[in-house]
Amino acid sequence: MTAIESGAAEAAPSRPAPVLPRLRRWLAFRNISAIYLGVLTFAVFAVWIPDTFLDWTTWKTVLDAQAIAGLAAVALVVPLAAGVFNLAIGAQVGLSSIVVGWLIVDRGQGVATSILLTVAAGVVIGLVTGVLVVRARIDSLIATLGTSSLLAALVTAVSGGQQILGVPDGLSRLGSGDVAGFTYPVIGLGLIALLVWYLLERTPVGRHIYATGGNAEAARLAGVRIDAVVVGSLALCGAVTAVAGVLVTARLANADPTIGPSYLLPAFTAAFLGSTQFKGGRFNVWGTVVSVYVLAMGVKGFQLAGAPVWIPDVFNGVILLAAVAMSKLQTGARRRARASTAPTS
Amino acid sequence: MRDAPLLEVRDVSMSFPGVKALRNVSLKVDSGEILGLLGHNGSGKSTLVKILARLHRPDDGAEITFPRAASGSAPDPIHFIHQDLGLVPLLSTVENLAIGQRLSWRSLLPSPRRRQRRAARRVIDEFGVDFDVELPVARLTPAERTIVAIVRALDGWTDPHNVLVLDEPTAALHGQEAETLFAVVKEVARRGAGIIYISHRLDEVVDLADRVIVLKDGAQVAERARGDFDHDTLVELIAGASRSLLTAHPAREATPVVLDVKELSGPAFAGVTLQVRAGEIVGIAGLVGSGAQHVCSTVFGAAERTGGAVAVSDRPVHGSPRAAIRHGMGFVPADRRRLGAIVGSSARENLTLPRLRPLVNGRGSVDTARERREVGSWFARVDVRPLLPERAFALFSGGNQQKIVMAKWLRNEPLVLLLDEPTQGVDVGAKAGIYQLIMDAAAAGAAVLVASSDDKELVELCDRVVVFRDGSPAEELQGASLVEAELIRVVISSSGARAAAGRQTSGSRA
Repeated sequence: MTAIESGAAEAAPSRPAPVLPRLRRWLAFRNISAIYLGVLTFAVFAVWIPDTFLDWTTWKTVLDAQAIAGLAAVALVVPLAAGVFNLAIGAQVGLSSIVVGWLIVDRGQGVATSILLTVAAGVVIGLVTGVLVVRARIDSLIATLGTSSLLAALVTAVSGGQQILGVPDGLSRLGSGDVAGFTYPVIGLGLIALLVWYLLERTPVGRHIYATGGNAEAARLAGVRIDAVVVGSLALCGAVTAVAGVLVTARLANADPTIGPSYLLPAFTAAFLGSTQFKGGRFNVWGTVVSVYVLAMGVKGFQLAGAPVWIPDVFNGVILLAAVAMSKLQTGARRRARASTAPTS
Repeated sequence: MRDAPLLEVRDVSMSFPGVKALRNVSLKVDSGEILGLLGHNGSGKSTLVKILARLHRPDDGAEITFPRAASGSAPDPIHFIHQDLGLVPLLSTVENLAIGQRLSWRSLLPSPRRRQRRAARRVIDEFGVDFDVELPVARLTPAERTIVAIVRALDGWTDPHNVLVLDEPTAALHGQEAETLFAVVKEVARRGAGIIYISHRLDEVVDLADRVIVLKDGAQVAERARGDFDHDTLVELIAGASRSLLTAHPAREATPVVLDVKELSGPAFAGVTLQVRAGEIVGIAGLVGSGAQHVCSTVFGAAERTGGAVAVSDRPVHGSPRAAIRHGMGFVPADRRRLGAIVGSSARENLTLPRLRPLVNGRGSVDTARERREVGSWFARVDVRPLLPERAFALFSGGNQQKIVMAKWLRNEPLVLLLDEPTQGVDVGAKAGIYQLIMDAAAAGAAVLVASSDDKELVELCDRVVVFRDGSPAEELQGASLVEAELIRVVISSSGARAAAGRQTSGSRA
């Protein structure tokens, strides 16, 4: 494998390597383990419970039900790529969900205005968190743990701990309407994922984000404005989580003050599992989206098969640990290979 | 054999591929003796220390024995204090001393705090020093920290007949502090230990050592007993004879000044004024602690500027890497893996990071096809191997990594190139390649500033070399006086002795 790689690229450094080795490298288990695991899971359930599992409506439900979790995970990819942990992601989804409901129902604002204000609030939350990280120099893990608690308090204060009922059709249609069978949340996930992917993988801004996450000090010495990158990535994350929060309220047709935290762990699971896919250890959008759905498919399969309720958690945990361990083994092997050829100095 | 030496080293040689780092070095250390081990960078000192620490295996035929040690005792009766003391900064002296103790089931019981505290205070007292043993060691002075490290090493000694190796213990210390440390070192020797004292500060060695051994190019060139050496003889022994064959340093015609540094102050140096002209390569030399190591990073804005001004082609540059890059500076830091690159990213991404704008197409995205072509041609130009720009930076060898870092800045067509230890950890072949790149950049009109601890390198590359001492430029060598032996002599000589010798100091002071 390695011989093919190096031979191909050495022969044509400036042109892309020939198709076959590239394809083979791309298809390597370590590169797309989640897809293989997904195919395996699919095969198992397709044989085990073909009647329910192979039903198209099952798939539509899974696709739709995971769209918001997917959005939260995609939102999380941005700060993670910049080397920032955002533990407030669940609280941000929760707050946005409450705020949009509160604006529409309690304050009588229009649907469009409310959504815009909510997204703006999400951006502000991201900016404030970012400033805490770069100016007050609070470690992002701690800063977002702190803001997460503050946001939870804000959720309770705004909602009084009660569900906000009576969300108008204008909003709930966003959660349930569809185009060609794809619900708006699914389309929203697709579009936003595409945008974030473009930003991270194709633009100079994305390069700066990954450079900051890779080695902030070295990035600074290369002229990257690492403070701006950190603040900006949290602001973008805030905007996307706000959209996720709006869609939560739209889908439920009410705003639930307890729902936010449940998005935290799945988002991290998907982002970390996703980082082992496609990009050899980099947090990336498509790896994350694929991870969300591979995990969801497994969980759905077990539910349909009538497995005990604790099985899905086992599945999530095992997949995450296995995928991350595999990617570590791979980088470890690479490092050892590198060490054995290094010159003594 | 009551007076057998504590340590006896016989015929130690060490070969690395292509280099003989040590040839037939023999030495012994007696009880109560302080042995000064001297030699300039690359003389083989650190290789010898690593062999004593059993980090390197010497060539066959070497013999390292501890005649006084009970045979078969597992750890060698030798202890090392490096510049990095290996203390836990947040723990107190008491706790740091306790770390060394072996764990047993008893370690689960609450530690006998009062007894430990008393014991710690007692050992510190015995050495005639006095500080709060319950303060986190991070808040002690550097000398006090070194003493804690020594005491901790001693703590494990069941009898005093051990060897203590002090490797540049005073590099970070100032006058008064060093005195405190010396008293402790003498006390340790008086109790019967043997001490190997390694330092670049010759005055200290003259004060402390009972005997000195001088290494040069891996061989032992001199052994002198106390009274048989002074500062100047040591300088001569270390620097050796001037080579008659000189690298030509023709005087260059006056090109415009590109880099203009005025009264710059930063970490460990102050009031540095220097100018570098277009096409000129200026070296910066100096021992650890002289400030020389921080000049490039401060000029670039990587380290904080505490005073003074930097201008490029008469335009002032305020102190941030971004501003520096905008004004045409490039900076190759000494710590490549920590500061020079994003090691997990590909070589391509590292190479283009400081200047992505020209690669951006109409859709606001990086034109990766063009980027690949450009990086490919840079790889060819600076001769990086293998030709795999998509490979992670970390997977290249040291020399190739450094070439990638060089290419990253050369791609910006820099007006000013700042290089810290440009060939550290680089193999011989790549070294020549990097020299060529530096000279090409200068030939293309860049003003180049090189800080290096490799004197040969500075002599080979530079038009002139500014030597730092105690945080400011002390002397400048150029033309005929820029030869290796003279440079080493100037670098290792302490300022007092220089003044006594009647040498004039040049540099910034008006």
